[in-house]
Amino acid sequence: MFTYYLQLGLRSLRRNPMLTALMVMAIGFGVSASMITYSVFRAVSGNPIPEKSSQLFVPQVDNWGPQQNEKGEPPGALDYIDAIALMRAHQASRQTLIYPVMLSSPQPGSSSTLVSTGGYAVMSDFFPMFNVPFLYGNAWTGSDDEKRAADIVLSEEFNQRMFGGANSVGKNITLSGHDYRVVGVAKHWDPSPRFYAVWSDSAFSDSPDFYVLLNRMLDLQIDTSGRNSCRGRLEFNGWNQWLQSDCVWMMPWVELDSSSEVARYRQFLEAYAADQQHAGRFAWSPNIRLRNVMGWLEEQKVVPPESRISLAVASGFFIICLVNTIGLLLAKFMRRAAEIGVRRALGATRHEIYAQYLVEAGAVGLAGGVLGLVLTAAGMSGVGLLFEPEIAKLAHLDVSLIGLTLMVAILATIAAAFYPAWRAAQVQPAWQLKSN
Amino acid sequence: MLKMTHLSKVYRTEVVETYALRDFNIDVKEGEFVAVTGPSGSGKTTFLTIAGLLETFTGGEYHLDGVEVSHLDDNARSRIRNEKIGFIFQAFNLIPDLNVFDNVEVPLRYRGMKAPERKQRIMDALERVGLASRAKHYPAELSGGQQQRVAIARALAGSPRLLLADEPTGNLDTQMARGVLELLEEIHREGATIVMVTHDPELAARAQRNVHIIDGQVVDLAEDPRFHTAYAAAAGQVRG
Amino acid sequence: MQIQPILAALRRHKAGTLLIALQIALTLAIVCNALFIIHQRLSHLSEPSGVDEANLFVIENFWGVQYSTQEASSEIKADLAALRQLPAVEDAAPSNSYPLRGGGWDNFISLTPEQIKPTTDASVYISDESLIHTLGVKLIAGRDFTPDEVRDMGTRENIHPPVVIVSKAMADKLFPDGNALGKPLYSMSAEPTVIIGIVERLQREEVNTWSAPFVNQSLIWPMRQAIPIGLYYIVRAKPGQLAAAMQEAPKALYGRNRMRIIDSHDGLLSFAQVRQRAYNRDRGMAVLLGIICVVLLAITGAGIVGLTSFWVGQRRKQIGVRRALGATHRDILHYFLTENLLISLGGIAVGVLLTFGLNLWLVTRFELRVMPLAYVLSGVVILLLLGQGAVFAPALRASRVSPVEATRPV
Repeated sequence: MFTYYLQLGLRSLRRNPMLTALMVMAIGFGVSASMITYSVFRAVSGNPIPEKSSQLFVPQVDNWGPQQNEKGEPPGALDYIDAIALMRAHQASRQTLIYPVMLSSPQPGSSSTLVSTGGYAVMSDFFPMFNVPFLYGNAWTGSDDEKRAADIVLSEEFNQRMFGGANSVGKNITLSGHDYRVVGVAKHWDPSPRFYAVWSDSAFSDSPDFYVLLNRMLDLQIDTSGRNSCRGRLEFNGWNQWLQSDCVWMMPWVELDSSSEVARYRQFLEAYAADQQHAGRFAWSPNIRLRNVMGWLEEQKVVPPESRISLAVASGFFIICLVNTIGLLLAKFMRRAAEIGVRRALGATRHEIYAQYLVEAGAVGLAGGVLGLVLTAAGMSGVGLLFEPEIAKLAHLDVSLIGLTLMVAILATIAAAFYPAWRAAQVQPAWQLKSN
Repeated sequence: MLKMTHLSKVYRTEVVETYALRDFNIDVKEGEFVAVTGPSGSGKTTFLTIAGLLETFTGGEYHLDGVEVSHLDDNARSRIRNEKIGFIFQAFNLIPDLNVFDNVEVPLRYRGMKAPERKQRIMDALERVGLASRAKHYPAELSGGQQQRVAIARALAGSPRLLLADEPTGNLDTQMARGVLELLEEIHREGATIVMVTHDPELAARAQRNVHIIDGQVVDLAEDPRFHTAYAAAAGQVRG
Repeated sequence: MQIQPILAALRRHKAGTLLIALQIALTLAIVCNALFIIHQRLSHLSEPSGVDEANLFVIENFWGVQYSTQEASSEIKADLAALRQLPAVEDAAPSNSYPLRGGGWDNFISLTPEQIKPTTDASVYISDESLIHTLGVKLIAGRDFTPDEVRDMGTRENIHPPVVIVSKAMADKLFPDGNALGKPLYSMSAEPTVIIGIVERLQREEVNTWSAPFVNQSLIWPMRQAIPIGLYYIVRAKPGQLAAAMQEAPKALYGRNRMRIIDSHDGLLSFAQVRQRAYNRDRGMAVLLGIICVVLLAITGAGIVGLTSFWVGQRRKQIGVRRALGATHRDILHYFLTENLLISLGGIAVGVLLTFGLNLWLVTRFELRVMPLAYVLSGVVILLLLGQGAVFAPALRASRVSPVEATRPV
């Protein structure tokens, strides 16, 4: 029966080409506007590490106090003193500090030209904590951290550029005039948004080239290439005094595998802040936070407001298109009341009439979905109009978006057709047959 | 085949109740050709729509092919219309968007018949009414008589037990009307039960039996005194 | 035109009437809010930066080796000398940042050293005595820096220069009486820094919601950013020679010392590109919402045409009867126009509530401002005109229905 309904539907759609075109366009425009904006929203609001996002936490300690902090919230990173103290206490099963660094490397093939290369200074736990996959070699160990070794892990892409993709483990690489030993090459890994560095860096910037041993960076006095935020009077002068200041720049992460560990860690943070208060370093009572990945992304407002606004407006637009479609379908179906009466008299059940018109609407939805796909594909290039290139490139037409576009178009149109088709199915068989 | 006892049909509005049929009794035997006559507004079309299960009734009993139909739901009624009843309307009621073949196919589709059988039946039915060569034409391209023959083919294609005709020649000229009537008589000779509503006495005379409706009731023309004054009175009160 | 019979007729077309009214209500809500956002974004776009944008470009210069402060300082001086010698270059200045860069350095500013809550926030530029001339900003009071006031700033060195040049917006914020020149300000330090000059306008490094309260508030300190990472060179080309200068400059720098990185992708930006990047989202938002508004109005209009056409088709007989009973073309036309007006007014009544509801949501969620009434009024006018315009063609067709239709069967 489905093919019969489809034949009837197509025939009927051909009979009113203007009306059909109007509905198809409404659905097409509506669904494509929603899908384009959704593709961006999906990219910026997704869970970057779904398998572990509820076990990874950012500890925050208020070292600025109620007068200087941001509306009562502790800063989003730690100063050097607190960062090192939390690591020394080692109250989590895994923990790391992170800060972004920018170094120079020789252009492969031409030793006289330099290119800049960006990466993160991290600790050994970084790799197992965040499930970084390895192509060659391994992460360095905790004892390497202690030894402040010149160890580095390259990204697959950087290894491709520098070593032609060969196994570079054990080789040396010179960055900004210092030598590092390659201990591993990470397989392509770039969670988006880059949750572990959002405070300091753009959450969607180019993927890092390397991960380098943090203590080594500190020894070389390699400064953060990201954010540094200070409060009060700036009394430091030079690197060592800066480390002792209240400037926050180090991003801490801890892994806590059970709710009891989380509770214990929270107690530990409270106690730490209380100790600082007793020691006279903080003139305020403990103000700490412990947020997991999604809580952290929310707090850091990773989703640009433009993404939400455009998604909301586009959805509103789609709803109007659907209301429009309901009206047009109603008009179209009821215009054929006479035919429905005859079909009913000839033995069509209400369900059959209902199904016939829903299939017709489904055909409109499919056509609208195909138009929507074309418009979505065209509109993807327009995403760059609204967002920076690094966000725009995240929006792309993949298989799931194609499926979603068609599905949304068809289901939404069928949903819009529920009422008009119900009205059509209510047409009485007798009514149209009155000979007067 | 078709038996109504004490059947009544009341139309209610906020203001008035009107009886379209009142204590209505009729019994059509299998294989009969019955003409139903009556003045305009007497209730003969109401009778036909109820007989064809297009409308429900208010009281009484209606047995169609031995089945009491008053308790059947909408779906069951649709199925019976589809399988047991063939309709021929005064206004033909062909679907203008469909060609002759597709029009005849409509009831067969709802019966869920396989394509080869459908095709066989459609072509047989069109052959029967002499329009096999016009299968690809659209209703608008046919004359009134041809359209009515398509409608008859549509009614016949499903091999119904009961054929209901409502003024089948009402919109046709004499020549065409005769052709259609001859077709109905032929179908009757082959065993179909036919109930035909008409106000044309000449047409009614060709049927085996005549039933006259006045004021929503079957009357015996010879005995009923109302016969003589009925027309004017009935027309004002009753929906037809 | 009598309204009563029209309302009675509409009651018999509840679904269609409600759908059109709902569509008008939603369209009003979206269009009004979109227009408001578009206007806000576009007004951003045209804000001047105060600098000579037509002739400026910036070079992002990373050092290839870890220079000491002294080494970096002499490299910078040599670079600037090389840049200034280029035929197409008017002047060049070292800097930590540039207006509209999208982020950078800002300091809290207080009027007294004891103050805990700062008075305001300044976007900080550090450069030498060439910056004001290079940017082409106008010094409206006081003087420029002298070469001996400029000091080198190494890694995490915290120098509080005794003198500062501020933007007028900054001066007015701190000293509303207009006597800022010669006054001290305190920037996260107990040491004062004295205002020796005021420039007419110098936009901040970032133009985002956070910095909106401090718009155009900036200061310049006489310091050279001699840190290992690198710095920006701001270069002003001679009038009309921007392209030539942009080609010469990186070559000259690489020719002098190869141990540097100027990214081929965005290491060299004309100020037009800088402005485009800074306002990319604003412009994109305006374009996107503009497109949505136009398509939305078109679809709503087409929907009204479609439904009205259907109604006219459905009521041909009725119209024929009216015509037979003496209604003129004009009467029929007015009937449908009035009918649409009534539906539109109903939709608009709901739509105005939705408009403010949506605005309220945007205000609480996205820190937008409250919409002025003018937007709602113009939205209402647009939709009324749209409705009347859309209904005109089918209404005209209805008015041409012949009285003969009354006698034809349905």
